[in-house]
Formats: sequence, structure tokens, C-alpha cells
Amino acid sequence: MEAMKEVMKEARQEVMKEKARENMRVLLELNGINLFFGGVQAVRDMSFTIMDDELAGIIGPNGAGKTTVFNIISGVYSPTSGSIWFREQDITPLMAYQVNRLGIARTFQNLRLFGRSSALENVMTAMQNRYRYSFRENLWGHLTPSYRPDPAYHYSFAESLLHVGRWRRTESHIRARSMELLDRVGLADRARQAAGTLPYGLQRRLEIARALALDPKLLLLDEPAAGMNPEEVAGLNRLITGIHREFKLTTLVIEHHMDVIMEICPHIVCMNFGAKIAEGSPEEIQSNPEVLSAYLGDEDDADGEGVSA
Amino acid sequence: MNKNLLGSAAFVALGAALAFVPLSGYQEGIVVLLCINCIAAMGVSLLTGFTGIFTLGHAAYMALGAYTAAIMTVRYGIHWLPAIVAGGIVAVFVAWLIGIPTLRLTGDYYAIASIGLGEAIRLILENWQSFTRGARGFPGIESYSTRPVSVVFFTVLGIFMFNLLDSRLGRELKASRDDRAAASLMGFHTPTSRMKALLLSAFYCGISGALLAGYMNFIQPSMFDMMKSTELTAVVVFGGLGSMSGTLLGSAIITSVMEYFRDISQYRMLIYGFLLVVIMVLRPEGLLGSREIWSFFMPASDGSGGARGRE
Amino acid sequence: MGIDMQFTTLFQQIINGLSLGSVYALIAVGYSLVYSILSFSNFAHGGFLVVGGYICYGLLSGLDVYGYFTIPPFNIWLAGLNALIGAGFIAVLTERLAYKPIRERTSMTLYLLIASMGVSIVIENIFVIVVGGRFRALPQDIFQDVFAVLEKILGFFGLQSTREGSSHLFNLGGNVTVSMFDILSLIVAVLFLGGLQLFLRRTRWGLAIRAAACDLRTAGLMGVNVSLLIGIVFFVAGVLAAIGGIFLSFRYTLYPQLGGITTKAFVAAVIGGLGSLPGAVVGSLILGLAEMLSTGFISSQMRDLVVFSLLVIMLLVKPAGFFGKQISDKI
Repeated sequence: MEAMKEVMKEARQEVMKEKARENMRVLLELNGINLFFGGVQAVRDMSFTIMDDELAGIIGPNGAGKTTVFNIISGVYSPTSGSIWFREQDITPLMAYQVNRLGIARTFQNLRLFGRSSALENVMTAMQNRYRYSFRENLWGHLTPSYRPDPAYHYSFAESLLHVGRWRRTESHIRARSMELLDRVGLADRARQAAGTLPYGLQRRLEIARALALDPKLLLLDEPAAGMNPEEVAGLNRLITGIHREFKLTTLVIEHHMDVIMEICPHIVCMNFGAKIAEGSPEEIQSNPEVLSAYLGDEDDADGEGVSA
Repeated sequence: MNKNLLGSAAFVALGAALAFVPLSGYQEGIVVLLCINCIAAMGVSLLTGFTGIFTLGHAAYMALGAYTAAIMTVRYGIHWLPAIVAGGIVAVFVAWLIGIPTLRLTGDYYAIASIGLGEAIRLILENWQSFTRGARGFPGIESYSTRPVSVVFFTVLGIFMFNLLDSRLGRELKASRDDRAAASLMGFHTPTSRMKALLLSAFYCGISGALLAGYMNFIQPSMFDMMKSTELTAVVVFGGLGSMSGTLLGSAIITSVMEYFRDISQYRMLIYGFLLVVIMVLRPEGLLGSREIWSFFMPASDGSGGARGRE
Repeated sequence: MGIDMQFTTLFQQIINGLSLGSVYALIAVGYSLVYSILSFSNFAHGGFLVVGGYICYGLLSGLDVYGYFTIPPFNIWLAGLNALIGAGFIAVLTERLAYKPIRERTSMTLYLLIASMGVSIVIENIFVIVVGGRFRALPQDIFQDVFAVLEKILGFFGLQSTREGSSHLFNLGGNVTVSMFDILSLIVAVLFLGGLQLFLRRTRWGLAIRAAACDLRTAGLMGVNVSLLIGIVFFVAGVLAAIGGIFLSFRYTLYPQLGGITTKAFVAAVIGGLGSLPGAVVGSLILGLAEMLSTGFISSQMRDLVVFSLLVIMLLVKPAGFFGKQISDKI
């Protein structure tokens, strides 16, 4: 009887593993990406895949082309050659806003908040795109007694013009959920402050909240720890791993501080001079000679093919 | 008590006060002019203050509204109410045509292009003799812009404007103003956002022009020249970029000051130009900065309002 | 019109167009120069032009200041020189009084732009109040001495000059005649623009200005006296505007609102690419040609419309103008 239970348990575990393997589908795939700016090759034959639910990192020295890779993924630049696949769809030709609507959100290395708006408004601005908005439903419709609003939309232009009807519910929904996110990143008490006047570290957190508000499938964090002190970095690491677990959110982090990524990311891509030089677990990366030489600086290679991030 | 309802109620109260307080004929005229100027200023404020598109040609949309309403009422005997709305719609249509090539431009490129196109519209009105009577002007327009009419238009359009700003559209426009790249990475198609702002602002200016035609009874292309466009934008800057209540306040102050100096008309423009320089030197952020007037009375409000580089 | 007549008109309008374009170029280059340093559209530029025109007019016809003192009429050389210096001085004064305090307070160029509109309104209305809004024609014989010199030079190349009333004409063979004034404005524009080019390429301050056009702050950090540099730039812009003003008031008439014509120079600068000096010249020539050709072949009322349609077409094809930098967002 006892043995029987043991067998059953093993079988169940086997099935679970199988299921887990199925769930580990490819979320993002870069295939041989090249990008030229004029004559300068900014990205060279870049390929890697990010699986669903992964927390991955890209490291590399300053100017290795990490941000450029983010710009290519998020649709700011189109690669000269190669293709990007996201959830089995080719997103190479799409514009930034289209890529974003498919579920890729990002933060920026050099903070790009809407500085004059409040922290809450910043998050609401991102959040509102989750709610469908109809321009077509007109004012007269609302005035006829038999009118039934189209259930496909959360609210209409006419309602927001008059602040009536579904507008109230939707707007308070957006506000409440944005507040939740601000609370999650520890900014609830600063919600009404103008984003541009927040301290540096909090602006970084606000950027993360704003990206989360887009309800992404993939979150790209561009040097979230830049300019932070070690204490803040520790807090940020907890935030990133926490968000990753809580929202089941695939996350890709850029850092040039090796230690940050080594601590939180099980999967690391290392870049130098626009090309991938290593990929693997933190241990593999740490023991890779090429990575070491890139970080310790090989003076012969250091100039010449400089690439701007 | 809901904050939104409170705002609308305040607006209605202001409108009622403007409409029912007994005034002399001259004062009534000033109220009408105030409403007309405020409507146009709100339109320009939406574009320049909230979307960051600096225009120097919006008098042309007023001209389109004015001529549409004038021609419809005088020539075709259409009632003034649909004529005013049509004025706004014609302005929107032309703005759409103009917006397609020009909205891709930023900063001073757009400003200069808007001057050029504004002047082009004025020149067309001046040269299309058979339809607009050209530079001689278009007389005999019915006095439909009475005090109640213009106050009602001002109140309704004002409530609409404040509601839109405190909503989805306002956030969208501010996002594309503050950082276009970041906005597009939030899923906004920024050219569309900019177009929305342009069309709405043209609508407001068109309505304002149509009301102006009914107030002056006579319109002339030269009333809508670059000087007028400059005035619209200057009012918005004076009130504070990104503050709709500041725009209304600025418009009210400028309109009153200009009325006050009407008797010494020779020096009026000199004083006006001098004021512009002095305001820019002493308080470039305008009356209210980028804050709305009620934020001064609310605790823990966003203490922003600093100067930022244009695009 | 026969083919011959058409060809004659075409040729004449091309010369006219180049001449008008070269005047626009003088104005547009000054405007572009200021734009390249401070990146704002100086709408008071038209005011400098009017100042130049009025100083020249006043000195040519003799000043009588309320009977307190009188200035006898100057010849064109002296009057012109004074006009250039006067306009340059007003430009520097404008910068010091109106723009400098704003520059030092904020980096937002919009405020400079609004202030420059204020200055332009002030200058225009000072002239309305002091000298009145009347249209004034510059005396037609002021360029007599200059024309005489020109006649000799061109006569050396075997070109015959004729007179029709007060206007000097040149016979280029066939029925094609060109007015002396057109040739003069072309030559003067070329001389001054060439001089500016020499100044920018060959002198220390020219180098400093070119550096500042790339990055004003860095130029300041490298030890350039930024305040003096901006003063020089405004002086140069004022001088160029004054020449444009004198030629425009001779071509048309002089009145306080003449400065409004700078709108076309701005359009020319946009067509060429804001902040680019060669762009300003090319844009101005294109504009002048378009204006004169549409005057010759369509109608003179349509010329401004043609100019503005040109602007729209240009913006559709090349939004940053011929020589402008395509602005791209850095992320």
C-alpha cells in the first residue's frame, strides 16, 4: 500500500514535470539581429530566446549595445536584418506603439516619466489603455430611453465629455488599480506629487509601476539600478524578484553591474561590442573567459568599434 | 460631493453670473467678447499648453468659422445655431487637411508652417471675391451673438474642455507633450493624439470665430491675421502653459486691459507688445505656471510648474 | 503671347526672382544665424529691418526733429552705413534688454519667442506713433552714384544701358532688359553673404560662432565669451536685416508693417532647413523665383499662395528642409 502510494506520487510528479515543460514555451525569440547606424554596426548577429515566466538578464560593459537591443525589441528601431518573434508572432516590422499593445512594456535607462503629471497620473496614463474606449457612441444615443451601451466598450467619448454613466465607474477603476500598483512599488504616499520632482530612486520605481500598469506579458527593465546606492539596490532586487513571482511576469533586465544580475537572474546573456559573447547561468557566465576579459578590459580591443548604447 | 460635479457647478454658476447680472450695453459687449476670446483661447491652450504644439496660425480657424457662419446665415438664410456649429465643423475639416502634412513637424518648424498656412487661408478668403467679397469684408451679419448665447456656448464648451482634460484624453495629450517616445511606448499612437488635439482646438476656434461674426456684424480677412494668432498664443502663455484655468484668467485679463486702453488706441498695441516682453522677463511661466487654480487650495498638491525645454 | 515673348518674360522673371530671392536671403540668413545659436525664432527680426529702412529714409531725406536740430540729407553711402549700424545696435539692444534676462532664467525657448513677438509689436508701433503709418517711397535717384559705377563696370563687358523714366535698364540682347536695381541688389547680397562666409570661416569669432551653433554651452565651457558672442551674432543679423530693409523699401515702399515680410524669409529658412545658412540662401532663392515666376505667369495676387503651397509641398517631401537635421529621439 505504501509502495503503491509512492508510485502514484512519482507518476503524478512526472505528469507535472511534463506539463511544466509544455508550459515553458518560447515567449521572445531574436534571430540573427543586425543593426547598422550608417557604417557603424551597433548590433551584430544577436540571437537569444526568452522562455515564458523567465527572469533573464543582459549584461555587458557600457556601450555594449544593450539598450539598442531593447530599442529593437520594443520597436523603436527596426533591425537591418534578422527577425524578432513574440508569442509566435513576427513583430519585426511593427511600430513601437503596436509592439507595446501586444504586451511588451519597458522602462528607460534615462528616466522618461511624464514629468509635470503626478505619479498617479503617470500610472493612470499607462493603465487607461487597458480599457476600451468608443468614440463612435454619440451623445444622442445616451439621451434616448431605449439606449443600451455597447458592452464591448468600457466607456465612450460622450460619457467622458460629460463625466457621466460608465465614465465614473471606469475612471475610478483605473484610479484604484493605479493606486494599488503605486502601493506595490512603495509610492502610495507620493501619488499626488509631480513625477519630475520625485527623488531619483523613486522615479525608477515609478517607471516600473507605469510599465506594470500596461499589463505586459514581457517586462523590459533598462538599468533599473543605475545611480542607486547599495541599500536601494537591495530593495530594488527584492522588488524585481517579487514582481516576477507575483505577476508571473517574464522579465528581462539590463545591467552593467554584474553583481545585481548575478543575484537575481538565473539566465544571463552577456554582450560586448554589439554581439553576444556568452549565455547561460550565473556560474557559467562568471567562469567564461571572454566575459572576464570584456569586463576587465582588453586594451587592444577597447577602441575602434565603439558602439553607442 | 463629487469633485467633477463641483467643477461643473462652478462653471454653471460663473455662466449664470455672466448671463444674468444686470449690465450696461457696453459692459454686455465686453462679456460677449470675453466669452468669444475665452473659447478660442481654450482651443489654443489645449494644443499649445497641453499637447506642446506651438501654433501661430489659429486665427485662420476663427476666420473659417466666421466666414462659414456669415455666409450660411446671410447668403442662404440658415438659422444661426446650425451655422455656428457648422463653422466649428468646417474649421475641423480644414485642420484635418492641414494636420496631415504639418503635424509631423516639431517645434519652430511647426510654428513657422502654421504661420504660412494661416496666412494662406487668409489670402484665399481675400482673393475668393465671388464667395467672400474679398478684402472689403462681409457686412450685414445678423446680431446672433447676444449675451445669453455666447455665455451658454462658453459654459458648455468650458465644461466639456475641463472634463476632457480631467480624463483619458487629457492624460494622453500630456503624455505625448512631455515625452513623445515614452508615450508611444505606452501604446499611444502619438500622431493620432496630436491630431485629436489639433481638431478639437480648431473646433473651439471655429465656434469662437462664428460667434465673433455675430457680434461684430461685419468680418474682414484682415481681422484674422498673424497678429490675432499671436494674441491667442500669447494669452495662453500668459495664463501659464498647461493650465486651462490660467488660460481663462489670462484671457479675461488681457481682454479687459485691451478694452480699458481702447480710448488711446494708438498706444494700445505698443502697451500690449511691451506687456508681452515684461511678462516674459518677469514671470515667464505665466500666471499659474502649469497648475490649475484649484490646486492652490488643495493640500499636498503637485508642486511642479518648473520650466522644461521645449521638445 | 508668342513663344519669344514668353521666353523674354521667363528670363526677366528669373532675374527678378533671383534679385528678390537674394534680398530674402539676407533676411533669412540673419534669422537662421540667430536660430542656430539660440534655437528660437526671432520674430523681432522684421523690426530690425524696419529700423534700418527708416534710418536710411530719414537720413536720405534729412531729419528735422521738432525744429530743435536739423540734419541735412545724407548721400546713400552714409545713410546706408548709418542704417546698418543703427539696426545692428537695435538688435543688440533688444537682445540685452529683452532676451538676455529670459535666457538666464530658463532654457525654454518658447518664452524667447513670445518676447520677440512683443519686441516686434513694440518696434512696429513706435514707428506708427512717431512717424505715422503712411507709406513712404524712398527717393528714386538715391542709387544714382552707385548705378553710375555699375554702368561703367558692365559697360566694360559691352553691355548697353538705357533709361526709361527714372529706372535704369540693361539690355542683355534681344528684348531682354534687366533693371539696374535688380543687378545691384543681387551684387550687394552676394558681397555681404560672401563677407559673412569669410567672417565665419576665417576669423576667430567666426570659428567661435560655428562652435556655438553646434553647442552653445560647450562653447561657453571652452572659454568663449558667450555673452559677447551672442551680441556679435545679433549685430550681424541686424546689419543683414537692415540691408534687406533698404532694398525692400526701395522695391516696394516703406511702412511700419514692412517687417511682416520676414514671414517669407522664415518660410524660406524652413524650406532650406532651420539654422542652416546655405539652406536659408537656397530656400530664399527658390522662394524668390517661385514668387516672381507666378507673378509673371499666373497673377500677382496668387504669388503668396504659391509661396505657401511650396512650403506645404516641401514639408510633405522633406520635413526638415533641404539642409536641416532630422531630429530623432534618443532613448
